[in-house]
Amino acid sequence: MIKLINLSKQFGNHTAINNVHLTVNAGEIFGFIGPNGAGKTTTIQIMAGLLLPSSGNVLLSDISMNDHPVKAKQLVGYIPDRPFIYEKLTGIEYLRFIGDFYHVSETDFKTRSQELLVQFALMDRRNELIEAYSHGMKQRLIMASALLHDPPIIIVDEPMVGLDPVAIKLVRDIFQQRSAQGTTIFMSTHTLTLAEQICNRVGIIHKGQLIATGTIDELKASAKKGTNNLEDIFFQLTIESTKNE
Amino acid sequence: MKDILTLLRPRYLAIIRQNLSMKKLIGMSFFAGIGMIIWSIIFYVSYRVLTYFKHAENIGDFLSYKLLSMILLTLFSLLIFSAILTALSKLFLSNDLGLVHGLPVASEAIFISRWIESTFDSSWMMLLYTAPAFIAFGIVFDGSFLYYFFVLFSLLLMAIIACGLSSLIIIPIVLILPATRIRSVFVFFGLGMFVLLYVGFRIMQPEKLVNPEGFASIMLYLRTISMPSTPLIPCTWVFDTLKSALEKQYIDTVFHTGLLFSFSSALICLNVIIARWIYFAGYSKSQTAQSRLIEGNNQIIYRLTNKISGPVRAVLIKEVKTFWRDQTQWSQLFLIAALIVIYLYNFSVLPFDQSPMKAYYIENLFSFLNIALAAFVLTAIGARFVFPSISHEGMSFWIIQSSPISIKTYLWIKWLGYLIPLLILSELLIITTNILLHVNPFMKILSVITMLCITPGVVATGIGLGAAYPDFKSENPTQTVTGFGGLMYMFCSSAFFGSVVLLETGPVYIFFKNHFQISFLTNTDILFIVINLLLALLICVMMLFIPMKFGERRLTQTIQNKSQKDKNAVSIQKIEKLSSDPTPETRKGILLSRVNMIKSGNANRYPAMKVFEEIRSCY
Repeated sequence: MIKLINLSKQFGNHTAINNVHLTVNAGEIFGFIGPNGAGKTTTIQIMAGLLLPSSGNVLLSDISMNDHPVKAKQLVGYIPDRPFIYEKLTGIEYLRFIGDFYHVSETDFKTRSQELLVQFALMDRRNELIEAYSHGMKQRLIMASALLHDPPIIIVDEPMVGLDPVAIKLVRDIFQQRSAQGTTIFMSTHTLTLAEQICNRVGIIHKGQLIATGTIDELKASAKKGTNNLEDIFFQLTIESTKNE
Repeated sequence: MKDILTLLRPRYLAIIRQNLSMKKLIGMSFFAGIGMIIWSIIFYVSYRVLTYFKHAENIGDFLSYKLLSMILLTLFSLLIFSAILTALSKLFLSNDLGLVHGLPVASEAIFISRWIESTFDSSWMMLLYTAPAFIAFGIVFDGSFLYYFFVLFSLLLMAIIACGLSSLIIIPIVLILPATRIRSVFVFFGLGMFVLLYVGFRIMQPEKLVNPEGFASIMLYLRTISMPSTPLIPCTWVFDTLKSALEKQYIDTVFHTGLLFSFSSALICLNVIIARWIYFAGYSKSQTAQSRLIEGNNQIIYRLTNKISGPVRAVLIKEVKTFWRDQTQWSQLFLIAALIVIYLYNFSVLPFDQSPMKAYYIENLFSFLNIALAAFVLTAIGARFVFPSISHEGMSFWIIQSSPISIKTYLWIKWLGYLIPLLILSELLIITTNILLHVNPFMKILSVITMLCITPGVVATGIGLGAAYPDFKSENPTQTVTGFGGLMYMFCSSAFFGSVVLLETGPVYIFFKNHFQISFLTNTDILFIVINLLLALLICVMMLFIPMKFGERRLTQTIQNKSQKDKNAVSIQKIEKLSSDPTPETRKGILLSRVNMIKSGNANRYPAMKVFEEIRSCY
């Protein structure tokens, strides 16, 4: 379970996120959507322990990221939007590197890494240096590494960037399977159809503030007549929010 | 021509729009000061040598011209080597080439603009630092104003020829070999040659040349130095130009300059023709990522380290593997190994037997001074490898941030990873030099213990200040040591080992006085020795923890304030105003340079809003 408690982050005079309060239940896929610069990545970076909040707290399975960052990070599989990884390691070495951080045993590593490499279609290229991988392959490797320690919480920033249609379907299926097994998934995305397809609930963030949360049906019910999909709701809410300022 | 100027514009703009903070200015002033000192030393040495030659009857001018010829040959070889490496990067490996080749610009225009940049980048520093030697020639040989003009003109043409020849060599090779491999091959080849020459030169013991016995076969010597160089290489034409200008035979000077000018023009034309045919094909080929298969996956290293805690093992193995797979690191190791060999060799040939003082005194004095020298070597190695190690994480640093280890633990793991090899190296260095110097057991123990205490502190200073002043965006993190942080590291580390050695001076002096029975140890002496050694130990312990704590705190702050800094940096940039009514050509130029600059990673010099406003104003 994820709890964001009155989370705020300021960069000098600029407020990136303002008093975001949110709970994501265990086994839920939560879609976090918003325009560019709305505060999605900042929120996710705070949740993953990359940034400290200016105020507020993040609880991951009731462990505070502020107070016990190492313990909290053990529970998380974080997938960033841009696949920067150590180019001079091979795919399998990178997985082992990540596995060592999460104390994955030798036996477990062998089984899980094989499974994940096959699942993400990287088995044939596992002994090649990452510098020869394509953008999509690097992204798939990061996803595989984030799942290696079987985390109860997955935090993903733009999961589908750079992936081909086959990989997109694969990731979608994996998220749904993991969610069915009880993994909590927090996902920021610009692909509204994806959010509509797989998310149990979505939150819309605009200019650092969470302006709406709920299931797609709940959001439709609260929106104006004639809004048929998440895209309509998104535009309606963000434009209205801008007008109100 | 317009396209070439437009393509060069981003480089020009990046230079004039540098955001010079006080830190940067201090760093630049410091390095400029060092540069000026080196320049002055080169001038002074050249002037002294030439004046000395001038006074040697009969052979003085021969020697001076031989020296000029050797300088020009060396300079030309270095220019070619440097131009090959720079042109490879500029023409085939730069990050922004993808965007530039996507623009509606002829590939030869891209080639020419990149070639101009590489000619400048590969030659300016070498020309600047050989200039004092040519000025010294002018002064000693009483050269006229025209001599200096021809120096400037012929050296410029020589740089153009060197870069022209380099691009003629690399363009066809890129079609056969991947560009990154060629770079490594040339780096290795060049460094190998350099190391061989350097070691060879040192082992020849040039200091023996001042021994009159070395001039036994003077006729043979004279014949060798007066032999003309081959007329087929451009540096001979430069030599002939300068020699005739010094002798005020200006018709010859113009003829040789003409040779240089016509050859360089022909080379440029040939390069453009070849570039039109095959440059883009070569670039396209260089974009195919080379695939390196690492077979076997080094299971042994994992088995050997399976008792070590997970995060420690992860970071240590990652450091070792990324280090050994990065060829740029090897070349540095290669150089350091050569310097250490020379360092040790110098100790083995020190002429203690010819000294008027007793060898025992001198050997032990040298041994003591050697502690500081070895610590300095350690600091220099740390500057090259330890200090940039945090910046080497680059944009992948998010992996460490999101991993379940604290920044503190991560820094200490890094420290451990560099401490082990550096401790072995420094102890080997000090023990070997002690053996070569035949020092007494007291000095042996003292120097070994001192290095044992200093090394952890030097490594901690490197890691701590490297963490305090990281540059995760740098394409070449090794260069971070030339910044403010690197300067601080060198200063702190030198002050650290300097103070430790200084504190040991008193006890060593008392010990030797006692050893040679000049005086006997009193209680005050013992107290003085204990206090000094304890103070030295205290400094070593402090230098182990303070820089690490400082680095941890600063790195955490840097991560948190990164976005804020980016925003502030953008807001203080002054953006050049556009003319109110740009022509279509100017419009094209502006758009091209803006996009070019954004893509080349200097986008933070352009606030996005301004870019859009400027683009909108064009239409």
